[in-house]
Amino acid sequence: MPVDALWTAAGAVLVAVFGILAALFLLGIDRIVAARMQARIGPPLSQPLTDLRKLFTKENVVPENAIPWLFNAAPVIALASAITILFYIPVGGFPPVLSGGGDLILVMYLLTIPALALVAGGFSSGSPYATVGAQREMVTMIAYEFPLAVVIIAIGWKLAASGIPLPFTLASIQAYPIWGLVGPLGIIGALVLLFVLLIVTPAELSRIPFDTPEAETELAGGVLVEYSGKNLALFSLTQGVKTVVMASLVVALFIPWRLSAMVAAPPAIQPILDLLFYLVLVVLVAFVSVSLVRVSMTRFRINQVVSVYWIYFSLIGIAGMLLIMADHFLTKSVPAYWMYFPVLLPGDLFMTIAGHIMGVPWP
Amino acid sequence: MAMIRLPMVPELLRQLFTKPATNAFPARYLPPSVTEFLSQVAQGKAAINPPVPVPPKFRGKIAYDRESCIGCTLCLKVCPAHAIEFLPETKRIRIYITQCIFCSQCNDICPKGSLHMTPEFLLACENRYAESQIVE
Amino acid sequence: MFTFQMDGEVVKSVDFAPGNTHRGIEWMGMRRNPVQILHLSERICGICGIVHALTFARAVEQIAEIEVPPRADYIRVIMFELERIQSHLLWAGVAAHELGFDSLFYLAWKVREQSLDIIENLAGTRVNYAIIQIGGVRRDISTEQVQLIEKGLSYYRGLLDQMKKVFLDDSTIRMRCRGHGVLTEQDARLLCAVGPTARASGVAMDVRHDYPYCAYGDLDVHPILPPQESGGPKGDVYDRISVRLLEIAQSIDIIQQCLDNLPTGEILWEKKMPKLLLTLKKAQGEAIGRVEAPRGECMHYVRMDGNDAPATWKVKASSYSNLMSWIPMLKGEQLADIPIIVASIDPCMSCTDRVAVIQDGSAGFLTKDDLTRLSREKTWRLMQCR
Repeated sequence: MPVDALWTAAGAVLVAVFGILAALFLLGIDRIVAARMQARIGPPLSQPLTDLRKLFTKENVVPENAIPWLFNAAPVIALASAITILFYIPVGGFPPVLSGGGDLILVMYLLTIPALALVAGGFSSGSPYATVGAQREMVTMIAYEFPLAVVIIAIGWKLAASGIPLPFTLASIQAYPIWGLVGPLGIIGALVLLFVLLIVTPAELSRIPFDTPEAETELAGGVLVEYSGKNLALFSLTQGVKTVVMASLVVALFIPWRLSAMVAAPPAIQPILDLLFYLVLVVLVAFVSVSLVRVSMTRFRINQVVSVYWIYFSLIGIAGMLLIMADHFLTKSVPAYWMYFPVLLPGDLFMTIAGHIMGVPWP
Repeated sequence: MAMIRLPMVPELLRQLFTKPATNAFPARYLPPSVTEFLSQVAQGKAAINPPVPVPPKFRGKIAYDRESCIGCTLCLKVCPAHAIEFLPETKRIRIYITQCIFCSQCNDICPKGSLHMTPEFLLACENRYAESQIVE
Repeated sequence: MFTFQMDGEVVKSVDFAPGNTHRGIEWMGMRRNPVQILHLSERICGICGIVHALTFARAVEQIAEIEVPPRADYIRVIMFELERIQSHLLWAGVAAHELGFDSLFYLAWKVREQSLDIIENLAGTRVNYAIIQIGGVRRDISTEQVQLIEKGLSYYRGLLDQMKKVFLDDSTIRMRCRGHGVLTEQDARLLCAVGPTARASGVAMDVRHDYPYCAYGDLDVHPILPPQESGGPKGDVYDRISVRLLEIAQSIDIIQQCLDNLPTGEILWEKKMPKLLLTLKKAQGEAIGRVEAPRGECMHYVRMDGNDAPATWKVKASSYSNLMSWIPMLKGEQLADIPIIVASIDPCMSCTDRVAVIQDGSAGFLTKDDLTRLSREKTWRLMQCR
């Protein structure tokens, strides 16, 4: 129906604008927080906006031995796909704009497109540094896709096994948070999965310790070495929007509660409360997984990046998934199995109390 | 990687709540227009954060006491940068700050103690031969 | 300027051509008298300026047979060791930056500010101290300044454990530095490496111990080798980091010993400078001055023949001897490790600015910072000549 389509289109535009503003905000907060942790003052909050404005006024240089159409198209594709992902994830505390259009599997595939655009841009730059950077970005992407897939599949499986229809859609995940569906073993498994997702985030965003594609002191800028002007501005904005996307994903999967549901608030200010709560959560997730990690470690070598993800975090992710599966089967056969494991009792007590506070049913 | 040790993390979290170690001289953030900021400072509408204070006996801009100088030209012999010019008509010297390396060797050799270093160090200028860059 | 032959990400062979930062300092020195050359020599290096001034002064004092008073010797040692502390802290920050660990960079340089403040109080400026004079030192240390130095030393003593923990216990630094950039002891001896580069490989040589100068004869100085707790000397980047941090601890001890035993007396052999200049003009002969700079052994050769200016002045900076050790260190390493290995010998020159990467036969010339237009043109030229 045309009216519905119009509303959806308006919502999409609103989400796109909000995504860009939130991206600039998150980038600014990240820089200030990282600076304060290093005992510096840091730039003002509006610095990413100033940088972008300056970049848009600079000349857009296309190297002579680059492939011009791909060189100029890559940043646009990256930004467009990053914003598209926002349409399928709940942002601002509101349900996704294109709710029925796609689920987590689509989000996972869409997440590869900005990285592929970066790789294409690097290869088409015609510089040896960019080529090495693009190769590293490809290898990093291959490395972190596996733990990411493990996390998404584990959550989807749990919802499917609990008999919830359409297990991979974000609407179901919002309605049935993972914490309420599992016993204590599963809580541990879900925490493990949250940890894995938080560590996959810096690699998605090409941040230290996984920023081998853009290693500043090794590769003179790596993938982005030949980019300048409006193209570089679009790539920077893409990184910011991807930060919003990953943080929103973590919040949507693992912290899906809305403030207005917990606090009895009049309907007029409910959306504002939700929005503020969402912003607080997203800033917290970005702080833990981007800023704190970025300032406390050195950069890894590319073979270390691959071994960290393929070996260590894949094993950890699979362990988390196995914990959830074990919990599921134990619960089915032995209800309240945790009573048999005294060590799990305090956890059960904690979850009961927490559940009462948050209004989430604890079986 | 049996156990990951990151000893920097507690220090980083602690520094999040302490005062930054940066000395915010002259302004905390870059003003939109530097010349406008400087003119505002001149009018008294804006303030410059003071720099870290200099210690005593700091070697800043040189100061020259014309009265006590006897024109012995010993300071010329010992200046590594050839920053001192002797004026035979008046038997006095002229020092070019743009050449001076602030070693204060001329202070040591002067028999009358006519030269000494002041704490002034904000000496940047666009004109090599401006009045502030020549001491006589 | 480096030329790397690469196979994918692995270095197959390395060649380099130093000499890009020739400034004609020795030429300038041959037109100035020794007192002027002292200040000129300080500007050979921005980080370790006092090293060159002291070496030159030692050489000239040997030629002119000048006796330096004992109090001046002790003050020279104090300034020297203060400079060693700030130089090693500067290097620690730069090494962390090469690894991508900017927080350690900021921390090391923040800690370094304290030593620079002490130096500024003693000498008048933070770099290019101009405190050495032929035959002694130009400034004395008063009792308040002694208290200031002691306060600084206790500040560093309190911080040293934390710095060692943060640099040496960190798993990510260990991951990047252990076992990379290895210089075996045999290679270190063959290639005449000096300073912490050689000591990290197990060669126990230190000019302060082998040929004591200034007040080092009275003090207890031993060459610092990587400690046995971390497995003994292996000659990799990690060992070089630990040797330099331990040398900071050693410097603190040396300064404390000097302050405790500071003799009274004169600080200059000759207070009247015209007489000093005349003595130097009449001096004839040749001598070599050797000191242990933060980077290794620094040597100046001076020959004077009765004129105002010396007839010959040759400087062998410490990093010059360490250059050849880059070749065995870099073979077989990955592209990602090149910056930290190159920085680990603490090169005191700006020659690591340019890198030419040759991959599978095609050549591309690039710089580490943003590409300038000249570099882009040269890239285009080199790729045309493929």
